[in-house]
Amino acid sequence: MNDASDDELVARVALGDEAACRLLVDRHLTRMLALARRMLGSQADAEEVAQEVFLRVWTHASRWEPGRAQFGTWLHRVATNLCLDRLRRHGTEDIDSIPEPQSDDPTPHEELERSDLARQVDRALQALPARQRAAVTLTHYQGLSNIEAAETLGISVEAVESLLGRARRQLRAALATERDEWLRKTGV
Amino acid sequence: MVKNDMTLARLSELVGAYGASAVRWPEAERVAAEALLAGSADARALVAEARELDLLLDMAPSATASSDLAARIMAARPRAASGRIVSAGRERPGLWRAIARLVWPYGSPAFPAGALAASIMLGVTFGASFSSSIAAFGLTTTQVADSAATATGSGEQLVSLALAENDYPEDWKQ
Repeated sequence: MNDASDDELVARVALGDEAACRLLVDRHLTRMLALARRMLGSQADAEEVAQEVFLRVWTHASRWEPGRAQFGTWLHRVATNLCLDRLRRHGTEDIDSIPEPQSDDPTPHEELERSDLARQVDRALQALPARQRAAVTLTHYQGLSNIEAAETLGISVEAVESLLGRARRQLRAALATERDEWLRKTGV
Repeated sequence: MVKNDMTLARLSELVGAYGASAVRWPEAERVAAEALLAGSADARALVAEARELDLLLDMAPSATASSDLAARIMAARPRAASGRIVSAGRERPGLWRAIARLVWPYGSPAFPAGALAASIMLGVTFGASFSSSIAAFGLTTTQVADSAATATGSGEQLVSLALAENDYPEDWKQ
């Protein structure tokens, strides 16, 4: 069962096979959660989206047509659309809501600096327009190719490249200070 | 279609969009871009600058699933139509269960027999109490029949309500 393809597992899910359901969750939950976390900037919201993605899988399993689309790409499309819908409904994310690191945290100084940097990067990502953020998330973090990202977002490859170019320019500007500071310390 | 020509300007667009890692570049342009990179210091400088942003982006926090997330997802999974989960190699009936299945392939007769006995007892009890209440109120059989006839309308409604199928909203199937 472990080496079964996603298509085979989905067919078994439709029959109510618990082991197939568990294997699909094991294979894809972490990536769907990571995608939603980077898109939404909130762990709780990301978990809700990840759960919704799998509810869609359970619901559509009996209608899944093997070979029509890659299951992984379809999952990314569902998760991305759920995130974009959520961002549309809730408006622009309040980046100030991202929690500050605890000042009394017993973490060593370097660790605290690193988590502060991580927070700054997260804030810069959350400040991107939703579709630019989606393009960066899909290609940089999820490892999708430009063609897969275009299919996921329902746009052309050229449009993906344009979104990515604008996103990286904005990120570079937003993180200029952090970049200089970080380069000075690490000597990269 | 693989493209063999690559200019510094196009490489600048590529790294400006996809970053420094060649695995993220469009497959059709990867070989040409790497060839340019090998022979051009300017190309390498472009990639080095893009790598700084890549490294910063890699520091963004990642998500960790809470302990019960997978359990919640599994709790909502589809079930087999029989109500028992079909999963190859998981179910191992014990000796007594195997014998019971051999003797009663359609399930134990104790359940329908029990249901029949319960209905008989309910009928007898209800019949006895109904006739004693008729006697207690001094009603004749005709009076009882008349009152039953007037109650038929509301009684039918109650019966039809009780037997009606529950119509669950299934928008999750949309």
